[in-house]
Formats: sequence, C-alpha cells, structure tokens
Amino acid sequence: MSQTSPDAATQGATATVRTPDTIILDVRNISKSFGGLRAVDNCSFTVTRGSITGLIGPNGAGKSTAANLITGFMRADAGQIVFDGKDIAHLPPHRVALSGLTRTFQITRELERMTVAENMMAAPHDQLGESFWLGLLGLPAVRRQENEYLQRALQLLRDFDLYHLRDEYAGNLSGGQRRLLELARVVMAKPKLLLLDEPFAGINPVLASRLSDYIEQMCREKGITFLIIEHNLAMVERLCHTVIVMALGRTIAEGTMAELRQNAAVVDAYLGES
Amino acid sequence: MPPVIFYLLTLAVFAAIYAILALGLNIQWGYTGILDFMYIAFVAVGGYVTSLLMLQPAQPAFGETYLLGLNWPFIPALLVGGLASALLALIVGILALNRLRSDYFAIVTVAVGLVLYTIAGNDTPLVNGWDGISGIPQPFQDVLNLDANSYGFFFLGLCIVILIIVYIFSERLYRSPFGRALRSVREDEMVAQGLGKNVFALRLKAFVIGAFIAGIGGALLVIYVDAFNPSAWTTGETFFLWAALLLGGSANNRGAMLGALIVPVLFAEATRFLPTSSLPPQYIDAFRYIAIGILLILTVRFRPQGILAEKRFRVRKSKLLAPEVATAGGGVHITDADLADDPGTLAEGAANAAEEGNTL
Repeated sequence: MSQTSPDAATQGATATVRTPDTIILDVRNISKSFGGLRAVDNCSFTVTRGSITGLIGPNGAGKSTAANLITGFMRADAGQIVFDGKDIAHLPPHRVALSGLTRTFQITRELERMTVAENMMAAPHDQLGESFWLGLLGLPAVRRQENEYLQRALQLLRDFDLYHLRDEYAGNLSGGQRRLLELARVVMAKPKLLLLDEPFAGINPVLASRLSDYIEQMCREKGITFLIIEHNLAMVERLCHTVIVMALGRTIAEGTMAELRQNAAVVDAYLGES
Repeated sequence: MPPVIFYLLTLAVFAAIYAILALGLNIQWGYTGILDFMYIAFVAVGGYVTSLLMLQPAQPAFGETYLLGLNWPFIPALLVGGLASALLALIVGILALNRLRSDYFAIVTVAVGLVLYTIAGNDTPLVNGWDGISGIPQPFQDVLNLDANSYGFFFLGLCIVILIIVYIFSERLYRSPFGRALRSVREDEMVAQGLGKNVFALRLKAFVIGAFIAGIGGALLVIYVDAFNPSAWTTGETFFLWAALLLGGSANNRGAMLGALIVPVLFAEATRFLPTSSLPPQYIDAFRYIAIGILLILTVRFRPQGILAEKRFRVRKSKLLAPEVATAGGGVHITDADLADDPGTLAEGAANAAEEGNTL
C-alpha cells in the first residue's frame, strides 16, 4: 500500500538529456497518427523558461493532439519531448504532472461533487496524507501539512476572487468561475510549466482580460512558464512573448504576432491555400 | 425466548452484517467510482476461507469434502478471510483495472463472479460444492459456554463492535487526503491524472480495501447462518447491496448503513411474512427482486444522491483567512462588471455567507 517517491521514480525512468538551461520544453520531431491521418507530423518547437508562449494554428492543425502528447495523455509514435532536462515522452500523465508540467483542458473539467476548497486541496503533489496509512492515522505531520495547504488554497482562492465560493460545489459554478478555479487549481500544484488549452474559449471579454492579468501575474511572481493554445489572436498578441504556428501537424513559423502577420506561410495557413 | 424477540434479534444481526458489507462497497463505488459487480464473491471468499479455517477437518465418510479444516480460533480466521478477499481483489484489479474503462471493468467483475460461483459449486473437494458447508464453530463459545439465547445477543454485540470499527475506519479514510484523492478519481480521472494522482494505484487500493471489508462481513454472515452454499451468493445478491448503497446514499457512510437496514433487511427478510398460502413459494423470491428493481429505478430517477446525500465539507471558521487578509486581495480585484456574465453570483455569495453563519 505504500507509494514510491514520485521524484525518485521519475528520475529512474528517464534519461537526462542535454538542452540549454534557458529552454524548459524542447519538443523534438514528434509524430502521432490516427489510422491514416497524421495529426502531428514531425513537429518540433521549444519553449523558453519564464516565457508566455502561444501555440496557434487553424482548426485541425494538431495543437490539441500536441498538447495531449506533451502531457502524456497520448503516447507519441516517434520523437522526444524534453522537459526540464528529462525525456518525458514515455511517461504516463500523472508522472508528467509530478515532474512539474501541468495542464488545463479545452472544456473545463472540475471535480464537481467536491467543493471549491477541496478542488484546491486535491492539487498538491507531495501530500503525506495521500498514503493510505498516514492518511488513516492522521499523524500531526499530516494535519500540519493539511493546514498549510488549506491556508495556501484560501489565499489563492482570494487572489482569484473565488474565496466567497470556497464551500460551494465546483459543479455549481458558472462557466467563467470554472475557468478561474481550473487555473487556481493548477497553480496550487506549483508547476514549472503550465499548458493551457484554449483558456479563453467561451468566456466574456471582461473575464478574459482578468484571466490574462492572472496569467501575467503568475508568470511574473511565481516564475511559472506558460504554453497557451488559443484561437483568440488578440489575446495571444496581448499576452504572449513568442508565438508558435502549427498547420497540418507541423510547426510552420515562430515569432511575435507582428512578425507572423508578415509571414506568407502563416497567412496561407489561416486563409487557405494560395 | 419469545419468537418475536428471536426474530428481531436475527434481523438486527443481519442488519449489522449488511451494514458492514454496504460500507465496503461504499469505499469502492461511493468514494472511488469503481463499478464492482462481483462484490458478493468477495463476501463469499471471506466467508468460505474463515469457515474452512475454523472447521474441523472434513469427514468424507459422511459425504462432506472441503479444504483445510484447521480448527483455528475466530480472530485469526476472520482476518485471513478478509485478506483472502483482498488478495482476490488485488489479482482482479491488477489484471483489469489498469487496462479497462470502468464499464468494461464492470463486465469483467460479473464474469469473474460467475466463474468463481461455478467453480465453488462444481468442484466439490474445495468447499463441498452445491451442498455447501455447515457446522462452523461459534466464535468464543468454547470459552463462554452460553446458552443459545444468550449467545444470540453476544453475537449481535460482536457484529456491532466490528461494524463500529469498520465505520470509524471508513469515516477516517473518507476525511483523509487519501480519501480526497479517491474522490478526485471518482469525479474526473483525467483531472486527477493531471494533478499527478496515480489513478490506477488509487483505484486498486480502494478495490482491495473494499474487498477486505466484504470478506470480514462475509465471515460473520457465514458463521451466523451456519450453512453456506453457492446459491447464497448469486449475482442477484450483489444487486441487493448495490440497491442498499444507492438508496441509502453513496459516499455517505451513514447512508450506506441506512440502506443496508432498509433494502436487505426490510425487503429481503420482512417479505417472509407475506401471505404465501395462495402463491407458489418461488413467487415470493421473484416479488423481492421486482421490489428491489422498482426501488432502484425510483431512487435513481427521483433522488439520485440517495436518502442521505454525501456530506459537504465546509472550511472551518477557525481556519479561514483573517478578515483583513481575506479582503486585501493578491492583485486583481473583483468588480461588478466582472460578474456581468453571471448576475446571480454576488447574491449567491451573500447567501453562502449567511448559510455559513448558521452552520458553523
């Protein structure tokens, strides 16, 4: 019934790969096919540590598949994914998360029949009380850690303006509040890199603006690197330092939005074959 | 002892045993969301193993054959019975929990349950086949030497003590971070994985723990009825327990115990009093299943959370942020305009605060 230390397990299973220290995520020639369709086709890109990087592209470009490959929810057919110096391409999703790469989902997913505060408390990785025996015995060390996490959770909820909803079931939140909770929850897990899959989908402009403020604040104050998949190009332009463009499963360009507007390949990808 | 008292005593023992069984199923389904349709097989394995350890060696001359017969005392036999069920769950879980979605896993459990049932019935040397086992020594009777009536009350007390232990265990588990991780798996497997939870390991643990409790309850059941054969643990029996848990309230331990009182005891036992003169006896059994089925449908349709819904954890007042900290804000502040997409939120928040004032 004992759990092996996640860190030790992660290190044991993965070879250390040399990358410049400024690169936190190095995606190298990954591919994924579904039957005859090559959803991701020899795709490569890098994400700079401490940056907010955008990943854009027309529908069917392979962005969400790439996100699933990077976070371990799907297994790549080929290629390497180097995160923080380790190849994570063959790790299951929970091990990827434990290594510091956490994601949100295109359609918000909450732990609906758990309260907002419990959603937050479920997030931290190194919980002593998640071992069966320690949890059952409820030793002082477990209680102390619970208290610490609860305080951190409440402060984060306050920062995300969800404090007054702490005892509400997550399933009762509005769409916008769900987005905020999802972001607060992944921040609670103290990730090094956060992959957000269309965080601005289906929320009003005011909330979108607040959300982007939060993202900048988390990047600045907590040193979290962001990789954001997004269709709302105005938000991408406002937030992202660098933008990667995917089309037909490959990376076709990289740069600032201003640069990309001048790029013929990008314009083609969005407006159709010329 | 007047027959009524004796009958009530019997019902109380069954209620306590079924409550133990419902608590075990609650850990698997209520906490973790595992669809286990072989639960009664875990009950049977615990019952058989405990009995075989406590029985005298089999006497083939009298037409009975079974394994072991070690004449063990009750407590170690009970624990080994529970462990045997847990071991079975470990094997089934390792083989199937990792690879299969929960509905496919459910089908595997049905199949394993039927396989075990068929083996137990047909392979007579194991547990005396369809004839079943009987003559299991009464726990502690060798030292107590009570008369039959007093022993009935003693056994009820024994069952209640074990029920209380299982209840406290289940509640502690539910409130622990481990229980929270189980519930996160129940709510959304992908979110749990995204938060670094090893979903397979958590499911496996819950499955094994639930099976252990099933084995303990099964041991008490078999010892009490003192005759146990495969017809006592058909797949239908599993659904009695499912109906009990769903009606009483999944993920609420008191609900599970309440359901165990209502469904198996009232429906299955109390229906013995139905007038049977005009009906063939097998109709009564059929009526029971029909009644349970209707009850299950009505529950899922009109009160899916069960009679006693899952409890909501509220953050204790003493743990809340100090008022000045709570309103200081980390950076970005809420404005009325921010809530334009949902005008109900402010009122809801206020209502929430008022509600808290009442409950804490």
